[in-house]
Amino acid sequence: LPAGLSQWFPALEVLDVSGTGLTEMGTELLSLPCLHTLLAKNNRLGGPGSLPKGLEQAPLARSLRVLNLSGNRFSEMPPALLQLRGLRSLSLGGNRLHGIPPDIQELHSLEFLYLGGNFITAIPPELAKLPSLRYLVLCDNKIQSIPPQLAQLHSLRSLSLHNNLLTYLPREILNLVHLDELSLRGNPLVVRFVRDLTYNPPSLQELAGRTIKTRNVPYAPSDLPESLVRYLSLASNCPNPKCGGVYFDSCVRQIKFVDFCGKYRLPLMHYLCSPECSSPYSSASQSSTSQSESDSEDEASVAAHRMQKVLLG
Amino acid sequence: MEQPVQTETWKARSLEELIRILHQIFAEDKVSVDEVQALMESYESNPEEWLQYAKFDQYRYTRNLVDNGNGKFNLMILCWGEGHGSSIHDHTDSHCFMKILQGNLKETLFEWPEKKGNGEMTKKSERVLRENQCAYINDSIGLHRVENISHTEPAVSLHLYSPPFDTCNTFDQRTGHKHKVTMTFYSQFGERTVC
Repeated sequence: LPAGLSQWFPALEVLDVSGTGLTEMGTELLSLPCLHTLLAKNNRLGGPGSLPKGLEQAPLARSLRVLNLSGNRFSEMPPALLQLRGLRSLSLGGNRLHGIPPDIQELHSLEFLYLGGNFITAIPPELAKLPSLRYLVLCDNKIQSIPPQLAQLHSLRSLSLHNNLLTYLPREILNLVHLDELSLRGNPLVVRFVRDLTYNPPSLQELAGRTIKTRNVPYAPSDLPESLVRYLSLASNCPNPKCGGVYFDSCVRQIKFVDFCGKYRLPLMHYLCSPECSSPYSSASQSSTSQSESDSEDEASVAAHRMQKVLLG
Repeated sequence: MEQPVQTETWKARSLEELIRILHQIFAEDKVSVDEVQALMESYESNPEEWLQYAKFDQYRYTRNLVDNGNGKFNLMILCWGEGHGSSIHDHTDSHCFMKILQGNLKETLFEWPEKKGNGEMTKKSERVLRENQCAYINDSIGLHRVENISHTEPAVSLHLYSPPFDTCNTFDQRTGHKHKVTMTFYSQFGERTVC
């Protein structure tokens, strides 16, 4: 960036330096108090010095709203980036990112996040702590699973997950009531019901914990070591409404299919307390097709109300 | 539309001229697909001429009506943000011409699914269309998905549909199941349509 930029253009609000071969953006940026939009796509940014030192103290940290760094060479999000507390829109599409730092939650004003076309393998649950996030693009990456916490993104309207390595989705995805668009094509989504992926028998501690919870055996902190009191508070309820059981660490992961909008079937992960605890309509020996179909009926009515438009394969 | 009745080599020197010639062509009883495709391709995209119709939406691609061809055709501009794509769809027995005005669009062709098919749809071919290229499709050729696969550049395309239609079917690639949808315009004649 040319020296003296802030002296010549002190009122600069929008700066577009895309396609200029920039390898770093220096301190000239720090003295632009009115800058709210910085477009620097298709450059050679990604190394040290890409973003200027001292960013957190500069007015830019509070004033910048839109930052486009797509088409550069970032292999990780520079920590300085996470200082831009006023940022509403961030694009790092087409870079070389391998992951998303948990500190992304620092960008608490973020509404638009474009990370398509990178090498991202996993999504940190902290991403869900962005309360204003409306548009999340993660297409064309190497993502294998979605953390269930992502369902806490209450403002999410559009989620792009196409061309990844997803085989299933967490059932919590049904909680995204404002989601209008969801793209899932180009993922190796499991098409047929897969039963009993792995089952590790419960430990004695787990069995005891289950008994205490399901039989409502009274206990007080004075009765038990603190670690066990904490353990008992972590009991999860079995999603099978007819079971009413609880589980701690030992559970069966089953992939069930939910008929979205009555038209599409999506594989969603369910946790059940044991292989015998399955659909309320069937016994353990029931064939897989009817099991998934009967489950899909109750889920379908929930899902139909929740999902408006689904862009599927 | 049938076989060409006369071979013309049109050159549209502006968007306005393109529209004028289209009106002329479609006023006839018989219209040639090749003629329309060549005409569309002959227009060299000039953003100044179509910028007023190119309204982008953050979340998905937009359809912006430019001209309604006296009921014979619809001419519209589609704006595709980075990563925006369509579902697999048919063209309700109409002819569809798609010319790239800016950027690139990937077109993936699919076979029609079997009657009671319950398997993955078959991909026929795919290609990336460059600026000023014009593609053509109709239901007898197959189904397609169009997407802007760029993560850095938006794309703009000019579409002609004849006869005009406002519903089509979208298809689930994994199962071939279809679903009828109604299409709407984001803007008409340069004005944002609020619905």
